[in-house]
This record gives sequence, structure tokens and C-alpha cells, in this order.
Amino acid sequence: MKKILIVDDEQDIVESLKFVLEVEDYTCYCAYNGEDGLRLAKEIMPDLIILDVMMPKINGYKISRLLKFDNKYKNIPILMVTARTQEEDKLIGEETGVDEYITKPFELDAVVKKVNEYLK
Amino acid sequence: MGYILLVSERADEGEKFSKLFAFGKYEFEVLSDLTYIFDLVNVRVPDVIIFDLFSISVDFKGLLKKIRPLCENSALILNTDNTTADKELLKSANALINDGMNDDLILATISMNLRMKNSMERLSATNRDLADSLYRLNALYSTSSQFAGTLDKKKLINYMVEGIDKSLSFSLTSTLSFCTEDEPVLLINSLYDLSEEIIGALKLRAVLQYKSQYEGSNPPYEINSETLKVSKHIKYPANKFTFSLFQYDNMFASIKLGETLFGCVEIFKEAPFSAEDAKCFQTIAQQVILPLKSATLYQEIKETNLKLEKLERLKSEFISIVSHELRTPLTSIKNSLDILLSGKCGEINDAGNKFLDMAKRNVQRLSGIINDLLDLSKIEAGKMDFHFKKMNIHQVIDYVKNNLSLSAKGKGLVLSAEEAENLPDVNGDSQRLEQVLTHLDSNAIKFTPEGKHITIKSELKNAADISVHPYFQDEISKLKGNYIVVSVIDEGIGIAEKDLLHAFDKFAQIENSLSRKVGGSGLGLPIAKQLLEAHKGAIWCNSQLEKGSDFCFAIPVAE
Repeated sequence: MKKILIVDDEQDIVESLKFVLEVEDYTCYCAYNGEDGLRLAKEIMPDLIILDVMMPKINGYKISRLLKFDNKYKNIPILMVTARTQEEDKLIGEETGVDEYITKPFELDAVVKKVNEYLK
Repeated sequence: MGYILLVSERADEGEKFSKLFAFGKYEFEVLSDLTYIFDLVNVRVPDVIIFDLFSISVDFKGLLKKIRPLCENSALILNTDNTTADKELLKSANALINDGMNDDLILATISMNLRMKNSMERLSATNRDLADSLYRLNALYSTSSQFAGTLDKKKLINYMVEGIDKSLSFSLTSTLSFCTEDEPVLLINSLYDLSEEIIGALKLRAVLQYKSQYEGSNPPYEINSETLKVSKHIKYPANKFTFSLFQYDNMFASIKLGETLFGCVEIFKEAPFSAEDAKCFQTIAQQVILPLKSATLYQEIKETNLKLEKLERLKSEFISIVSHELRTPLTSIKNSLDILLSGKCGEINDAGNKFLDMAKRNVQRLSGIINDLLDLSKIEAGKMDFHFKKMNIHQVIDYVKNNLSLSAKGKGLVLSAEEAENLPDVNGDSQRLEQVLTHLDSNAIKFTPEGKHITIKSELKNAADISVHPYFQDEISKLKGNYIVVSVIDEGIGIAEKDLLHAFDKFAQIENSLSRKVGGSGLGLPIAKQLLEAHKGAIWCNSQLEKGSDFCFAIPVAE
């Protein structure tokens, strides 16, 4: 089974993403802050990461940069999820190696579809 | 009138002149010993000095050099034999006489010189006055131009004190100023230093004068001489004024416009003030009033503006923060509903489905309102990003028509487009124009009953050929040149004429039971209006109750 890491400080969002992805037969790991997210990513080597931008301790861009510039992890696809819709945010996302950019509020189905594109 | 001194060692000469001046209005004195001349001149400067050169044996030229500076303005007459006298000496004299001249001639010469000397004196006095007036006028002029050059109240009061200083010679000014925001200050400008007692007395005077301005009523500031702040400026701190200062001549002026008192000024001078001084003083004190009033108004406007700006900023920030904060929980609600509705948690019966649908519909509505609020706050804060490029309105109409045809069909409506061929391009942000047209179209769908038509029409028009309801004439008259005009024409409930004017106001959903039933944020039209303004276009509507509405917008054709 493919492993997905969900990192978001909004517990409810993590919960609902986990539910719909598990229905699709993925194994989900959850982290509620950047620090845990980064640690888990290195521990479990997920097949895909869903990452929120605004988080306490380490923000999503930083995590993305740390992983994408490390040969060991750079091939893990990252889907960036955020409430911020400014154009410049997307630019930062691209610079830090984010693969997809999803703005809140998102359709759960749309996220599932994106994940399937990468993993199936 | 005149004081005449004869310097002669010859006794008969003295007698001769005494007789000569006996009948005139002259004071006449003879000095026979030349060594006393300095003492004499020092005591009183003669109007005329006659030197009898025939009798003077000392080096007269040397003596004259020493004595002349003491009696510069005196007429100098030499009694001399012009054949023997030194040429240089002759030149220094105002007139010459000699022993051979008859008495009348001598008298005439002397009295003429006396008259001339008096006239000269009057002239120079007048000249001095003129120079004084000119200087004062200059000072007044420069003060008034300084007044005109600032809107700072503190500076204005300083300029006033400076102006008084420049145009009047005085010992001390004491100015009670209300121009500082926090509390009144007593500004003391003094030639010499002042003891604490004198400053205390000046404070007391200022407070009493201030209170006397509001006789019978309560003054706006409660001040007392104990706590009044003092700012003093001393020109020569080495010297000190004594209490005799208060016996000096003084003048007082209050700086007041209507009920507003800006301050009081009092000035002291050792010698009496002239009428000119008084006029000058009052002029300066009056001149400062209007600029002070302007400065006060300016300050008020500035403060109000700052407050408004801050409020506007706070409002924008507030809306954007609140909207973001609202979105997060809303997302969770929506996600949960989606999961439940998808049946992934198990079967749900029809009634349950109905209520879940209701919840989802309302979540979507709430999201719409939040998005509208965010859009509007972004536009108002000037933070909306536009991506203008050359594009054809055809794509926008196509996109919107395809997007909304389903919901139109669902309501049993016919949605059709009526496009003029070969419309020129416009310079626009396609996403924003889609937003505008989508809003107009979904409004039409909302307000049009089953079985009716909605038409999206597009055409090329010159600004002069666009005719609108008089309410929107102002908007249209700003347009110039060629425009693409897009109209959404429905056969819906229409809008009453009195409501047309407010159709584009914020939160101005027209009072109608149907409009409340169909919902909406009431922000769509004001957003559309702002978006079109960003396109240098316009938006307007025409409507008839029960017949339908046309909502139209115009965008300039790209050059």
C-alpha cells in the first residue's frame, strides 16, 4: 500500500483527508506541525506529501525546500495546500519545488483525483 | 532761537557781538579762554560756533580736528582775513565773516546758518522716522509672509513674537499660547534675565488676563499660575530685570477669533510706546489670527484624515483576517458534508440526504459571501491583481454560457447568446470579466420565472450612442470612443425605478421577498462595478417591474 503523509495544523482537515484517502486504499500518516511533519517524512519515506503552508514552528515552504534539496527525498511529490491565494505565494511554491498547488477551500474529490494522478 | 558761542580773546569783539545779538531770540556766550572749550561743548553743544581767528594764537587747525567730532552738527563760522587763512581751514567752515563786514551782514550770515542748521535737524529727524517706518513695514511684511508660509500653530506664534521683536524695541514680551495640543505655555522673550518672583508675577498677569477674556463664563482651559508651563528666551542673561519692570510702559493684545482664544500677548518697554508702536503691535497680533485659524482647521482635517485612513485600513485587514479565519472551519464543514453525501460512511436515507443537501447549499452560499467580501476588501484596498491582456469578449460569453446553461436548464429557462460578428478585441482581465458576466447571468437566472428567456447580447457601440436611464448618465458621460457593450436581458421580476439608483450599492439587495429567498451576498453588483472601473468601463441597468431587467456593461475597444 502506498504511504501518504498529511501535514496540517488544522486537525479537522487532516481527519477528512485521511478518511477519503483511506477509502482509496492509501495508508495515511498525520502530523499537526512542521517539525513532526519533517521528522515523519524522513522516518517513513512516504510516496506523497500533502503539506499546509501556514504552520507553527516550521512552515510548509521550509519543509518543501529541505526535502526537495535532499537527494534522498527529492522525488517525493509534494501537494501544497493553503488558504493563501496570492500570486506571489504560488511563485514561492514553485521555487521551493512544490509539485502541485491547491487552494483552500478545496473539493475533497479534487485532492483525491490529484493524488491518484501521482500514485496510480 | 539758537545757542551761539563766540570764541575770541579780544574783549571788544565779544562786546560787539553781544550787542549784535541783544535783540534776537538768541542765547549768546563768549569764551575768551580757549582751554575751556572742551568743557563747554561737552555740557551743551552750541548751534553756531564763531571762531575769531584774528585772536587765536594756538594751532587752530589741530584744535579744530579735536573739537569738531564733539559738535558735528554745529554751524562753524570763521572770522578771518581771507587773504591769510589756510585754504583747508576755509573749506571746513560753513560761513566766513571778517572784521570789515557790517553788522547786518554778519547777523544775516549767522541767522541764515542757524536756520539752515535747524532745517537740517528737522530733515534728519524726519528721515530717521521714515527709515524707522520703512524698517517696521519691512518687518511687518516679512512677518506676514512668514505667517502665510506655515500651517504650524507653534511656528505661527513664534513668528508673531519674532515679528514684534523685529519691529518694536522693547524689554520683554510675555505670550500665553494655547497652540500646543497638551497644555498652554507662557512664552517669555526677554532682554535680561528674570527672577523666579518676576516670572511668577508674569504668570499671574497672564492667567488673570486670560480669565478676563471669559468674564462671566467658564474658560475652555482651566489654568492657574502655579502649574502654568514657562518657556523663556533671554537675550543677555548676564543682566537681570528688577520689579521696576512692572512700572514700564506696557501693551496687551488678545489673539482671538470669535469664541476661540489662541493666546494673549503683553509687551513691556522702559520708555513709553508711541502710537506707531501700538498700531504695529496690534497689526501683528491681528495678522496672526487668520493663519492660526487655518492652521487649526488644517490640523483637524489632517487628524480626521488620519483617523479615516486608519479606519479604512483596519476595516480591510479585519475583513481579510475574518474571511481567512472563516474559511478554515467552513472547509471542514464542507469536507464532512461531502464525505457523508458520498455514501462512504454508509447509506443515508432520503430525509437525511435532503438536510445534508440543504447544509451543503448553505455552506456554498456562505463561501460565496466570504469570497465576495474578500474581493471587495481587496479592490477597496487597491490590492486586487489584474492581468490585462488583449482578448475577445466572445471567449468570456462562451465560457459563461457553457458554465451556466445547466443551471438555466434546471430552472426551465432558455439561455441564448446574440453576438455581433467580428467584434474587435478589448484590453481586459478575462477572469474578472467572466466573474462579472457570471454574476449578472446567475442573477438573471435567479430572478426569472420558469419558461422565460435570458439573452446575452454583445455589440460594438460609440460612447455617444449608448443611451441609459438618467440615473446612470454621469457614468456614461465619462466614456469616450468605441466600446464593446454586453447586455444580459432577462424577463424576470424587474426592479422598481426608485431602486435602480441603488442597484450597485453595497448590501443593497432590493427589498423583495423573492430576492431574500434566492439569497446572495448583495456584494456582486458593487464588485462588478469596481471591476469595470478598473477596466475603464462602466456598468448600468434598465428595468421595468414584472417585465424584466437589462444589465449592461461597456469596455473600451483595445487600440
